[in-house]
Amino acid sequence: MNDIQLPPIDYAALLPMLIVFGLACVGILAEAFVPRKHRFAVQATLTLAALIAGLVTVIINRDLEVTTIGGAVTIDGAGLFLQGIILVLGIVAFGLIAERRLERGGAFVANAAHAADSDGDKKQLNEAGATEIFPLTLFAIAGMMLFCVSGDLLTMFVALEVFSLPLYLMCGLARRRRLLSQESALKYFLLGAFASAFFLYGVALIYGYAGSVQLVAIKQSVLDSDKSGVLLAAGLALLAIGLLFKAAAVPFHVWTPDVYQGAPTPITALMAACVKAAAFGGLLRVFNVAFETTSWDWRPVITAVAMATMIVGSILAVTQTDIKRLLAYSSIANAGYLLVGVVSLGGAVGSSMFYLVAYGFSVLAAFGMVTLVRDADGEATHLSRWAGLGKGSPLFSAMFTIIMLGFAGIPLTSGFSSKFALFSSAWDANQSALVIVGVLSSVVLAFPYLKVVVLLWLNPPGDETPTVSVPGYLTRAVVGVGVLATIVLGVAPSWLLDMVNSAGTFLAK
Amino acid sequence: MNPALTGVLADGGVTTGEAVTFWILAPIALAGAIGMVLLRNAVHSALSLVLTMLSLGVFYVLQAGPFIGMVQIIVYTGAIMMLFLFVIMLVGRNTRDSLIEVLRGQRVAAILLGIGFAMLLGTGLARGIGSIPAVGLAEANVNGNVEGIAKLLFTRYIFAFEVTSALLITAAVGAMILAHVEKKPGEKMDQKVLSRARFEKGNYPGPKAGPGVFATSDSVATPALLPDGTFTERSVSKVVPARELTIAEARPKAVNGSKEYGAIK
Amino acid sequence: MTPEYYLVLAAVLFTIGAVGVLIRRNAIVVFMCVELMLNAANLTLVTFARINGSLDGQIMAFFVMVVAAAEVVVGLAIIMSIFRSRRSASVDDANLLKY
Repeated sequence: MNDIQLPPIDYAALLPMLIVFGLACVGILAEAFVPRKHRFAVQATLTLAALIAGLVTVIINRDLEVTTIGGAVTIDGAGLFLQGIILVLGIVAFGLIAERRLERGGAFVANAAHAADSDGDKKQLNEAGATEIFPLTLFAIAGMMLFCVSGDLLTMFVALEVFSLPLYLMCGLARRRRLLSQESALKYFLLGAFASAFFLYGVALIYGYAGSVQLVAIKQSVLDSDKSGVLLAAGLALLAIGLLFKAAAVPFHVWTPDVYQGAPTPITALMAACVKAAAFGGLLRVFNVAFETTSWDWRPVITAVAMATMIVGSILAVTQTDIKRLLAYSSIANAGYLLVGVVSLGGAVGSSMFYLVAYGFSVLAAFGMVTLVRDADGEATHLSRWAGLGKGSPLFSAMFTIIMLGFAGIPLTSGFSSKFALFSSAWDANQSALVIVGVLSSVVLAFPYLKVVVLLWLNPPGDETPTVSVPGYLTRAVVGVGVLATIVLGVAPSWLLDMVNSAGTFLAK
Repeated sequence: MNPALTGVLADGGVTTGEAVTFWILAPIALAGAIGMVLLRNAVHSALSLVLTMLSLGVFYVLQAGPFIGMVQIIVYTGAIMMLFLFVIMLVGRNTRDSLIEVLRGQRVAAILLGIGFAMLLGTGLARGIGSIPAVGLAEANVNGNVEGIAKLLFTRYIFAFEVTSALLITAAVGAMILAHVEKKPGEKMDQKVLSRARFEKGNYPGPKAGPGVFATSDSVATPALLPDGTFTERSVSKVVPARELTIAEARPKAVNGSKEYGAIK
Repeated sequence: MTPEYYLVLAAVLFTIGAVGVLIRRNAIVVFMCVELMLNAANLTLVTFARINGSLDGQIMAFFVMVVAAAEVVVGLAIIMSIFRSRRSASVDDANLLKY
């Protein structure tokens, strides 16, 4: 058998992913060979270098449109933009992951193999955190980048697992409250594996229908297959379960609050910003490339899911008493708004990506500030503890207020401009019912945010109001960038809107 | 591929031999699956899942996939399920599932949901496929199944193949992080250090006396007497709470035939 | 008999696995149920490979096994670390995160 020929490979198109994957492997080697005291510096530099190099190559590739390496990868405008979003938000989230000044040794446990609250665990309380976090982060981000540009469902499945496994692990590595953290890892893992089994069964049925798993081939066979549509419909439904789980849409959202609360806050921020971008990148690609022509079949279902997600997310957000859970339910509601973009198909791809950028920056800043409010036991996340913080820390409270107003969709913030862009493109796509539900639910959702603002400024500080730690320069940069982006994208969004609209197409051939 | 060997006709139809094998193994696979869900001991669950997986391995071989069938048996039953058994033996061999329902009616709801889902899917599949004749893999396997798979694996699916290495690295690193306790340079106790510590001044190198040894009472709470006549507190288990014995308890126990405590005849 | 019997068997196995995930308490058994679901998907893939006359289905089943192996390692490591901390592998005992 000498007729095995490698398919043509466009290395330039793959370069961003190859860089991130490659430097992740280098990071693993560094973990083995670099002396302990230099490891943190080496790993942090490597990670940042990988992310920045990836971003630079994505920018250089910006006009590329190619399907390469046997159809496994489709690089196109939207795919590149999504990769860019993931990398930029990844760089910002890196600031939170690498922060070591708020707490001795950072937010991650030094040696996770010690049982929680055992003697060994008490001894390691002040030791420097594990540096394996950095290569794992790189693997997760590389997996997300691949997920957005997969040309077939098998590559998509592998990419899904490549970014999920490191996240399952990192959820369980918090330094404080380790039982909670391990529990969140277990929940995320079991439900994630359950969802990916559904995804896989969906892939199997679609393969049975189309005879191929390449997205473009599926599109073609939808047009001219003689098989019964039952297979396709069942396959698509099961596939959508897997994708909607990662996107945290109702009714597949139950893991979100628990995992967001239990995971170390930097990882929560990474999940809220980057995983959301990757999950919606995958959803947009699958529905726009492979199933656009069958939109009559799936649109009513996804519309119902979007409505349920917006309504449930915003109503449950009102009742929360913990800031991390509040942000988790807000992330669910935002998944609902993004689903509006998925339902609206072609015209709304650009505004969905704009929404991902705007939401990602705001949520990173929000979680960055959650890490700052601390007492002796670590982060004080219960909302009652936040009462009256405005008296002692006006700058912190002002910044948090800007983020909350942004989430609430007040004009001149990115929350307003992104919702406006998304809803107007959905309106143009005749999704008026969804737009109405979206606007109403965002009014409901404004309430919990404003409640936090009132709590910060108007309530008297309690006896045990925690202190706002002086942030290290990394967290300071993350919060600054997030707040700045929230304002800039609210005041002058047009340049980014132009960019997403010129990028916003998927290559479907 | 020899059809007599694999049981698959060139056009993908089913030979009698395959049908017989299917009707023998399908109930076994089903029984294994149901057993896994219903058996309350985790080891039994794992073993009945192995049964299902072995049957599936035979099905793969029957359906012109000898390579994937062998991989199923080697990787799934041989490696993955054995890993499961290892972990069950480590953590939860004795734990049995409680029958208390935490969410009320969840079991019934789940089972009803499952039956509905299976019927929906089963009828859908039967309706969807019924009319389509199977093509069969005779043409794809013309140079041999392994060669055919290799050809696809290293052309169309080469990128996914390379990316799985990231998965395997993640898995290895993850297991290391969560299970491997790294000893610091000073903490490592080798044979030399241990024996030095044992014969250090002030340490008693011999085996420690058991509770009740050389004592008037055989209670585990009574400290042992060392040969030099002193009590050793080390012989008393820390778990046992220290308390004074009553006189009746401290007295020598009755022997056979005697009615009163201490009445040794 | 036609190959679609395999598909029906796979659908039933998949459902048994899904129901098992919902009703079992032991995290390890829940995870084994997920493995059963993956196996059912594999049987579907291999059968469709035969019906469609292409080897792609068998390749995908092969990839699923590799992915499952990695997933099992990570999952069992997480379950082990929870068990070390609280001496229980029941998902009902993982109940600190409630509102």
